[in-house]
Amino acid sequence: MSSITSILSSATQSLLAETGALQVTSNNIANANTPGYSRQIPVFQEAAPTNDGNFSIGNGVVLEGYQSVRDELVTSQIQQETQSQSSANAQLNTLQQIQPTFTTSTQDIGTEISALFTSLSGLSTNATSSAERQSVLAAGNNLASAFNAASNVLTAQQTALNSPVTQDVSQINQLTQQIAALNPQIAELTATGQDGGSLQDQQNQLVLKLSTLTNVSTTQTAQGETLTTGNGTPLVVGSQSYALQTATGSDGMQHVLDQNGADITTAISSGDLGGMIQMRDTTIPGLLNQLDTLANQFGTAFNAAQAKGFDQNGVAGGNFFTLPATVAGSAGAISMAITSPTKIAASSDGTAGSNGNVANFSAVQTNVLAGGNTPGEAYANLVYQVGSLTSNANAESSATTASLLQLNDQLSSVSGVSVDQEAANLITFQTAYQAAARVISTMQAMFSVTMTMGTAAAE
Amino acid sequence: MRVVNMVPDMEYAVQQSQQTLSAALQQVSTGLRVNKPSDDPGASASMVISLASSANVDQYTSNVSAMQAQMQTADSALNSVITSLNTAVTVATAGSTGTSSAANDQALAAQAQGLLSNVIAQANTSYQGIYSFAGSASSSPPFVAASTTYTSQNGTAAAPLSTTTPLTAGSVTTIHDASTSEAFTFTAAAGDTIGDLASAISGAVTAGTLSLGTTATINAKGELAISTNSGTHGIVASSNDPVLGLVRPLWGTDVANAYAYVGNSTVNNVQIGDSATVATNVPGDQIFTAGANVIASLTGLITALQSGNSAIVTSSGAAVSAALTYVTQQRVPLDNTISQLNDQDSFLNQETLTLTTQQNALVGVNLATAATSLSQAELDNTAVLAAAAKVLPQTLLNYLSPG
Repeated sequence: MSSITSILSSATQSLLAETGALQVTSNNIANANTPGYSRQIPVFQEAAPTNDGNFSIGNGVVLEGYQSVRDELVTSQIQQETQSQSSANAQLNTLQQIQPTFTTSTQDIGTEISALFTSLSGLSTNATSSAERQSVLAAGNNLASAFNAASNVLTAQQTALNSPVTQDVSQINQLTQQIAALNPQIAELTATGQDGGSLQDQQNQLVLKLSTLTNVSTTQTAQGETLTTGNGTPLVVGSQSYALQTATGSDGMQHVLDQNGADITTAISSGDLGGMIQMRDTTIPGLLNQLDTLANQFGTAFNAAQAKGFDQNGVAGGNFFTLPATVAGSAGAISMAITSPTKIAASSDGTAGSNGNVANFSAVQTNVLAGGNTPGEAYANLVYQVGSLTSNANAESSATTASLLQLNDQLSSVSGVSVDQEAANLITFQTAYQAAARVISTMQAMFSVTMTMGTAAAE
Repeated sequence: MRVVNMVPDMEYAVQQSQQTLSAALQQVSTGLRVNKPSDDPGASASMVISLASSANVDQYTSNVSAMQAQMQTADSALNSVITSLNTAVTVATAGSTGTSSAANDQALAAQAQGLLSNVIAQANTSYQGIYSFAGSASSSPPFVAASTTYTSQNGTAAAPLSTTTPLTAGSVTTIHDASTSEAFTFTAAAGDTIGDLASAISGAVTAGTLSLGTTATINAKGELAISTNSGTHGIVASSNDPVLGLVRPLWGTDVANAYAYVGNSTVNNVQIGDSATVATNVPGDQIFTAGANVIASLTGLITALQSGNSAIVTSSGAAVSAALTYVTQQRVPLDNTISQLNDQDSFLNQETLTLTTQQNALVGVNLATAATSLSQAELDNTAVLAAAAKVLPQTLLNYLSPG
């Protein structure tokens, strides 16, 4: 049979449990806007009942502890999506700086190619005109400059990506150290059946930051989270972190090496680092190669046309453009081989007034180059490619942003703090606390009555 | 689904709405749907090709304009030549009656001489420094008064040139013969001498390129003298060899009413469309010295009138008539070219319009649609902001009484 003291004990337990619940609620409200915070819930447990003869009677409530509400699957998806988003953003940033070079303007390559051919057409109306010849010379110079400028932009962007590679690797190393330091602490808690709580939240946040930098695979072990990057290069195993390094490769670029010095650059496939490496080592070299090929084939075809004619002095045409010995670097190095307007080989018979060779120059515009396209088409393809790459990176960035928003909403619906819900909890726990206090108050009154039984005051 | 925080969704919605608004605003302000390649890579690539076509069309239009002026100048010159030849026919008729006095014949001869001068002036017509009837040798007058002797600037009695004097390799010496209407060109090879030049001239005489009696000799002053026996026609000689210096007509050896054609037979072509070209010139030798030779017929008429022989005047008049017919025929292709240029001008204007329409379709924006999109984007943005302002401050705490 229950006693007043057991009721008081039960009420006191209840006060303590509700106070603990209120503390959890208070902590949730306090961290409502803390990034990465997972809401906690109090874990109430019925106290063991007391058997009294033929029946058992409850002994109130016990606050067993608290538990963070998490969704590991969604957390992992967010990490993956963050890697994709960071990669897309890194590529988009670089492409947005390259794109203006290939946007139609008064000085882009396409405009300058056209200007060269129209200036030659103008020359055909008066092959002896100094002004028309000067116009052709200027157009040739402008085209060479446009090729040079485009090549410089691409090369500068490629080189500029080296510094961020080193910075990213440095940040990765800092983060993996912090993650590794948390592993034993979390393992200790979970070994005793406790929730990782704020330590786990911190670690998740650090892994998310790491995901913005590189591709990361996460595996849960008894020692905590094991993290790898690239094709399985370990970053964190238990309390141990493995630092990545950078070194200048034979191509003059910064390469990423694992703790053993093995080159893992090509295995970094996402995150900011992966995006930059993709741009630096694949995308930009691809564009540069097309640009060099166009410059080289165009310059060679133009020189061949020039060689078929005679200049204003009746001398067989020499080179119009100067090109390097190899295709690589042609766009950056192409320049005018002639400086005098009289050297333009417009004549087909050696007389100054002949314009017969202009047709051979004009044919360069309509004849296909070795790649199977006319110069205009080849440049248009390049423009298409730059536009397409930028558009795709933009679409990828937007898609991953939308996807991340949805995933974060999903995670938030599980782990996020709802101030409304916490306000309701506050009332619930407060009411329960008040009720328990009322029980104690009632017990106190009952005690008073009991204690004063048979006294004058009682009579 | 448990919704705990609407701020990220609201931020995203506001951001999306503002991006749409910004894009709509840019389209309206620029009039362009595609401002950079990533806006529409395919359209941007097509635009590169289309703009190149536009640049070509603009240049073709410019070429047509230049050619129209050039061709019309040539046509006017031929028109003037035809007028002169018509007058010459009238003069010949007047001189062929047999009743004309000697003084009258001389007056008619003088009139015919004036007509010849006019024909030569027209044959040497130029437009902006280009001689219309010179072929590709268009930077100097194609018809030059002939002389019987040309001498070199270099060479003196004290230091005479000789047949063993070496010429400069690659130098060119040219003799235009007014009688044969042909040109002899000698390009000096390494080791060639003045003697080799003289031998080549002798060979050209044998071949009929140059008139009989044309020679290259060293005169008493030690100069190279290029001479001809053809006292009625003469030659025009030139050289760019610094060993000889300037080769000039010897004073007093000019041949009255004789002109040599120093142009060439090259026809220049100018592109006025992707697959359309026009000849920009009719070489003077084709119009004035080939076929019924215009200059020779007028020279013959002058000589006939001066002789007072009505029979010869009659036959000379017939030759002038034939020359008139010939020049009129030669004018037809020129007029056809002018007509073609006019037609092409209209076509190119239409082509410009077509390309502009194509480019507008590729990258331009329909202003009505763009304005509607902008209006819609503004409305959406206002709605999103209003929703955010309404929703975000709402929490349960607002409704709980403080007590």
